[in-house]
Amino acid sequence: MKTVIVKPERCVGCHQCSFECAVTHSSSKTRMGAISEAILSKPRIRVYLSSGKENFPNKCRHCEPAPCEMACITKAIYRDAKSGIVLINRDRCINCGMCAMACPFAVVRYYPYVRNRESAHKCDQCIDRQAEGKIPACVAACKVGALLFDEVNKIMDKDTEKLASLIYMGIRERVPEPGNFASLVAYKQKLNEIRRRQS
Amino acid sequence: MNIVIIGCSAAGLSCLDTLCKISPQAHVTVISAERYSPYSRCLLTYYLGNMMTEQELTISTPSSYPASVRFILGQKAEKVDTRGKSVRLSNGMECEYDKLLIAVGADAVKPKYCDEEKRTFTLRYMDDAKKIAAKLKGKAVVSGGGFVGIKTAYGLLERKIKTEMVITSSYPLSMVLDESSASYIEKDLAQMGIGIITNDDIAEINLHQNDLKVCLSSGRVLESDFVVAGKGVKPQVDLARAAGIKVNEGISVDEYMETSVPDIFAAGDCCETVDLARNKVSLIGLWPVAVEQGYFAALNMSGNRSRYPGSIGMNSLKTKAFHLISAGILKGEPGLKVYEKQMFATKQFRRIAFRDDVPVGMAFYNCPEEAGLFVNLIKKAQPLLVRPQKVVNGDVSISDILKPL
Ligand SMILES: Cc1cc2nc3c(=O)[nH]c(=O)nc-3n(C[C@H](O)[C@H](O)[C@H](O)COP(=O)(O)OP(=O)(O)OC[C@H]3O[C@@H](n4cnc5c(N)ncnc54)[C@H](O)[C@@H]3O)c2cc1C
Repeated sequence: MKTVIVKPERCVGCHQCSFECAVTHSSSKTRMGAISEAILSKPRIRVYLSSGKENFPNKCRHCEPAPCEMACITKAIYRDAKSGIVLINRDRCINCGMCAMACPFAVVRYYPYVRNRESAHKCDQCIDRQAEGKIPACVAACKVGALLFDEVNKIMDKDTEKLASLIYMGIRERVPEPGNFASLVAYKQKLNEIRRRQS
Repeated sequence: MNIVIIGCSAAGLSCLDTLCKISPQAHVTVISAERYSPYSRCLLTYYLGNMMTEQELTISTPSSYPASVRFILGQKAEKVDTRGKSVRLSNGMECEYDKLLIAVGADAVKPKYCDEEKRTFTLRYMDDAKKIAAKLKGKAVVSGGGFVGIKTAYGLLERKIKTEMVITSSYPLSMVLDESSASYIEKDLAQMGIGIITNDDIAEINLHQNDLKVCLSSGRVLESDFVVAGKGVKPQVDLARAAGIKVNEGISVDEYMETSVPDIFAAGDCCETVDLARNKVSLIGLWPVAVEQGYFAALNMSGNRSRYPGSIGMNSLKTKAFHLISAGILKGEPGLKVYEKQMFATKQFRRIAFRDDVPVGMAFYNCPEEAGLFVNLIKKAQPLLVRPQKVVNGDVSISDILKPL
């Protein structure tokens, strides 16, 4: 099963993933259309900047077991049996806030999606795009390999799980290995270092 | 393997669903005293407020389960025979088990003035909600200023019922909030039109020719059409106690959710587990916690030994006027240091309590987004490596907390 894998150390903070995420989840699904809709579509992936000026793309991990699913008092949150993706049934959601209370990664937000109806929003791993054979929008948008879409077993146990658990436990990740966009990433890191020394 | 689950609410259902996933060959019998398909108890106040229908409360349908799962609804488990390993039901039926889960939950505390003849109810089961709905009119008194009391009052407000809350302590949610956090809630409730009487309690209720007179300890008398008491819950322990299972306040379980009698497990509101913020065994009584415990019970019952790490008290309360998420402890402990940031313009505050540098409690008012992050830090008793005041101020991004520098 393929999933979105985040490599924070490669992120250069361009926010294109957030933009494309919002576009994909808009009603028109086009860039021009999305920005003129009455209820603006919101991104499900956010890029944070740490005080050390490192970028940190943050999105739903589709945890197993999922604390948000366990906390949901209406059973609006469920796991798609086939793909393992944790989804929200908007029509059952009552915005009670239990999922935001439960999510250790702070990825749940409450937004209106049609007039007079709000619901919890979070990453759905672009399940609709995947059904059309496309990869998730954030991954398609990422130019520096900070977001990857790959086999869970192949990469998950090698890299990300270690990283995720390190982050989860509050331990800083190891020195990143050079990847596809090594020079851009290296440039970015040098820049960070200079800024850090200056401040 | 024969598994019997007594009680089919948060804990029982979570155990069942987990078993169906990880141990599909097991034969599971689920017994529930209630005759309804499993529903979400937390939504009863939404049902009362006409915000949701009975059908929308349903969270699972017995017919969707495989043939190895049998539901027995509307029957009470009356006796557990721990030697013969069987459960006797109220209709005389015997269910044999290899592993048993007791997930019988809690019932509402019934103050001595509770009397359905005097239109005074508690709200715990669907039948309670239906009884109240049938008597719904005009004016109501809700006693108790806890989460259930406030949710009930809010539900009644949605039905345009003039509601007066009678609270024993000097402010609402006194079990979890400190006074200044609670003052916001109190203001909001008043603004929505819910009357609040503090430092008082119902002493007696009299019925005079179909008119209810609610007499308070202070001598005040309130006119009302009906009364709902939300004075807390007590775990249902009689079944376990009669079977010789160790019971303190709730059913006593080890880290694997197993009771003092081997092969009998307990989960949910009926049992007591470790409160990680208080560092002691307590009754927690929450939906997410019951679901978690049911999940861990299922793992251990099916031979996948997994330690239940414990949990903390937490809740999310949302009305039209405010959204409060609180967790852990915010007061009542010497040496507790509370940091806060108030944002008057946006009607928000963030408040976090620390024991040394470990966060142990929080209240977020109208800013739910990052609440889960802190709930999780409290659960893990993880020291915060960034300055607390900066955290409550929102001056550090969540990556600084997830990935301390
Ligand atoms: C109005 C209301 C609002 C709430 N709101 C919230 C909220 O916002 N957030 C939150 O976290 N929690 C909330 N709660 C608490 C939450 O509902 C409980 O923590 C949760 O339901 C506990 O689940 P449980 O499975 O342990 O037990 P219960 O839900 O109490 O269910 C136990 C079941 O076992 C059955 N049973 C009992 N004895 C027997 C027997 N001998 N034989 C057969 N069956 C038996 C009962 O009939 C019942 O169906 C609320 C509760 C109420 C009443």
